[in-house]
Amino acid sequence: MMMGSGFDIHLDEVTLAGAKRGDTRACEKIYRSYHGPAYTLAVRICKCRELARDVTQEAFITAFKRVPQFRGESPFWGWLRRVVINHAISSLRKQPRYDAVEFEEYMAHTSGDQDGLGRAMDLSQALEQLSPEDRLVVWLHDVEGYKHREIAEMVSKTESYSKTRLNRARARLRALVTNNDERGSLVSNNGAAQNATA
Amino acid sequence: MTAHDQWNQSKDDPLGLGELEAIDPGYDGWSDIESALLTHKNSKRSWQRAGGWLAVAASLVLVVSISMRNIESPATNTPNIASVGESSSAAYDSQTDNVGALIGLSQNMENQVKQLRQETSSMPAESAIYIAELEDLIAQVDNELSFTPDSIDLWGQRVNLLLDLAQIYQQQWQIDYGRMAAL
Repeated sequence: MMMGSGFDIHLDEVTLAGAKRGDTRACEKIYRSYHGPAYTLAVRICKCRELARDVTQEAFITAFKRVPQFRGESPFWGWLRRVVINHAISSLRKQPRYDAVEFEEYMAHTSGDQDGLGRAMDLSQALEQLSPEDRLVVWLHDVEGYKHREIAEMVSKTESYSKTRLNRARARLRALVTNNDERGSLVSNNGAAQNATA
Repeated sequence: MTAHDQWNQSKDDPLGLGELEAIDPGYDGWSDIESALLTHKNSKRSWQRAGGWLAVAASLVLVVSISMRNIESPATNTPNIASVGESSSAAYDSQTDNVGALIGLSQNMENQVKQLRQETSSMPAESAIYIAELEDLIAQVDNELSFTPDSIDLWGQRVNLLLDLAQIYQQQWQIDYGRMAAL
């Protein structure tokens, strides 16, 4: 089972050289190898699967056009991952109803109407409840291993911004998941008590 | 230590987000990517051809200009009557050839500009104004050519204006391409 975005797949030199020459078969091989990880990463950042699909497609097209410029100073997967992240950030910035959606989600969490959300919430769903900025920072830092300096550069903000977002995102995720666990244990305790009574 | 080891060491994942399962895309987008790449490749080739053509056209205009200068400024030695007659005839033939070359060049340039216009995205306001000015100037030259169709000077001007126009479209394409590559 692949965990995280699973991007760290080694690419052989022959395929890379082929892609640099514009060989379609080499490009297809690369696509088949990294499509899943790229899509996973895009979904984790964008949340919306349709948007993630567009991001993934555009990222691969950009990558194949730019691969002749890839110098090989870092692993290919790291370079490709950065292309996907750049496209995901760019697409998030273009979302017109971005603020409105976040506000509605925020209100749903703070108005006490938590039953529907909390009942079946796991870590994956909790991640989706974060704001796009928080989700981006926590995923890039905790899963992809980027440093605050690198994240700050990607989003054109300061390192402090990245640190603040990370702390907020972790705290929010803990709260969401813990809340869910407590509910889960309450439900199971109640179930056990009812069974005992019966 | 490999880059992968470094990456693993730098991971700090207290909530275990990295243990979340990968998401199955459930679609195959390769055919769309492949057709986009083919379109890009063809577009790149046509622009390379256009760039080459621009260089050839610029060289031809230069050659014609230099040859015209030579015709207009003959040798300073005192010529006899016969040599004056020969040089006049040669100059006339040369001028006719040059006008023909410039007309052909102008037609080819016009086709190139038409193709470049179709393949270029939206223009910034400044470029659009410059293009409109150049097209006005070309229309003025065309108007003058209707009175003096054999004017080598006017045909030269027309080719130069078309060259300027083509260069604007080409520069815009390079900007678009650079912007896309910088993503």
